[in-house]
Amino acid sequence: MTLRRAVVIIVILGCWEAARRFNLVGPLLLASPSEIVLALIGSWSDYLGALRFTVSEIALAVVIAWMFGIGTGVLAGMIPFFGATAGPLLSSLFAIPLITWYPLFMVWFGIGIKSKIAYAVVSGFFPIAINTMIGVRGLDPRYMLFGRAIGCSRPQMVLRILIPMAMPTIVSGLRIGTALIVIGVIVAEMLASLGGLGYLISYYRSIYETAHVYLGILLALGCALVANWCLSRIERRVTRWRELQIAER
Amino acid sequence: MTSARPLVIEARRLEKVYGVGRAPIVALQDISFVVQEGSFVCLVGPSGCGKSTLLQILAGLVPSTSGEILIEGAVMRKPAPDKISVMFQDATLLPWKRVIENIEFPLEIRGRKAAERRERAAAMLSLVGLAEFGERYPHELSGGMRQRVSIARALAPDPRILLMDEPFGALDEQTRIKMGHELLRIWSQTGKTIFFITHSLTEALFLSDVVLVMSHRPGRIVGVIDSGLPRPRTYDIIGSAEFGAARNRIWQLISLDDDEVAGEGMVSL
Repeated sequence: MTLRRAVVIIVILGCWEAARRFNLVGPLLLASPSEIVLALIGSWSDYLGALRFTVSEIALAVVIAWMFGIGTGVLAGMIPFFGATAGPLLSSLFAIPLITWYPLFMVWFGIGIKSKIAYAVVSGFFPIAINTMIGVRGLDPRYMLFGRAIGCSRPQMVLRILIPMAMPTIVSGLRIGTALIVIGVIVAEMLASLGGLGYLISYYRSIYETAHVYLGILLALGCALVANWCLSRIERRVTRWRELQIAER
Repeated sequence: MTSARPLVIEARRLEKVYGVGRAPIVALQDISFVVQEGSFVCLVGPSGCGKSTLLQILAGLVPSTSGEILIEGAVMRKPAPDKISVMFQDATLLPWKRVIENIEFPLEIRGRKAAERRERAAAMLSLVGLAEFGERYPHELSGGMRQRVSIARALAPDPRILLMDEPFGALDEQTRIKMGHELLRIWSQTGKTIFFITHSLTEALFLSDVVLVMSHRPGRIVGVIDSGLPRPRTYDIIGSAEFGAARNRIWQLISLDDDEVAGEGMVSL
């Protein structure tokens, strides 16, 4: 299986390389794998710096969006009045293409890291909040009774019973939200910024360095894959009991 | 039980009304009874008569509209987890925690030390006969075993009173009978006061010293049966003449009440 996969990859890379070598596709449209590798070797320290910049923006945005998203979702799920007003609002705000807000984010937060994080947080916030709200609403109310009967304080109730219980639903929100955060950071960097992967992609595109553009895209893809891999790990951990429970029936 | 033991639960003229304004629904009306220390009291009644509401009021989880509850002589207004443990029809175990961690959970919430609570949980686990299942997850256990874990968890904080809301209602009959025996054994070993809700007349009589009979719409206590059946109980007692007679009395109280809607004359408190 792995052998077959390796052969497929080698064949694709070969065709790709050949397409450039025999000039079947123009140099502005496509860079060959070897050119991309050379671009990385030539300016690896630039890319390392950009990657560090982008990854730290993503990490900060993830922390903030998860906290606010889960917090809002728990409140909306627990408090009927808040949920009744916030629920439809969350869903409709989520439906607006967020990118239309980006010019305003620039005005509010400047061209630096703050506007990137703010934009990414808002991108990731909605699916997390909505899923958390749905998860919390769907819980068996007897667990709340149980929690109160054993004397749980409010924070204990939320952190020790509600959130773990709703985790299988919350985590699918975290998955979507985190993917949107990665996209959000890179897109925001491409639009206007002072550094990061998106900045490099945008910069090299403007000076027609196609190999560098492709390299930037590949690194951005790498960020998305790593984020997705981490989320799958978390998902498997927190939903293992859920799957086993279902398998049991 | 004729000996005068101290009262652990006193319900005084409890009333619960849902909804306000034009069409309030009286769920519970004029509920008064006492429970002696260490006794096993069952509450029977048709489904929807407000049994669970009454239990939740006794647990301090739901406020009554009027009337009061005294627990060991003191008026109760909010849950008293150190004195009272509550068990539900579903075991309400936390599915992501191992059995032993589930039993420790109420102690963990109270901030007890890890070693102390582990020891206590292990002792409770062997009390319910599941000593070797501590490392399992709830979904790996049968329904009856899950309820045993739930009993162990309820006993872990060493409460005075166990309130049980149809704990064996979802089990098959054979498991249910076994669990009844188990509960009686645990009760006699620990000396707790048990207030047990069921809709099975047989289960109520088999387990209890005193049966409180409830009617519905509004939920009232229409009779108190002190069966006086000997202990320790074995399964054979269910076939005995006294058992049958007591069972008939309870049934009469429930069905009579259905015919005479007013029904006030029959309250034999």
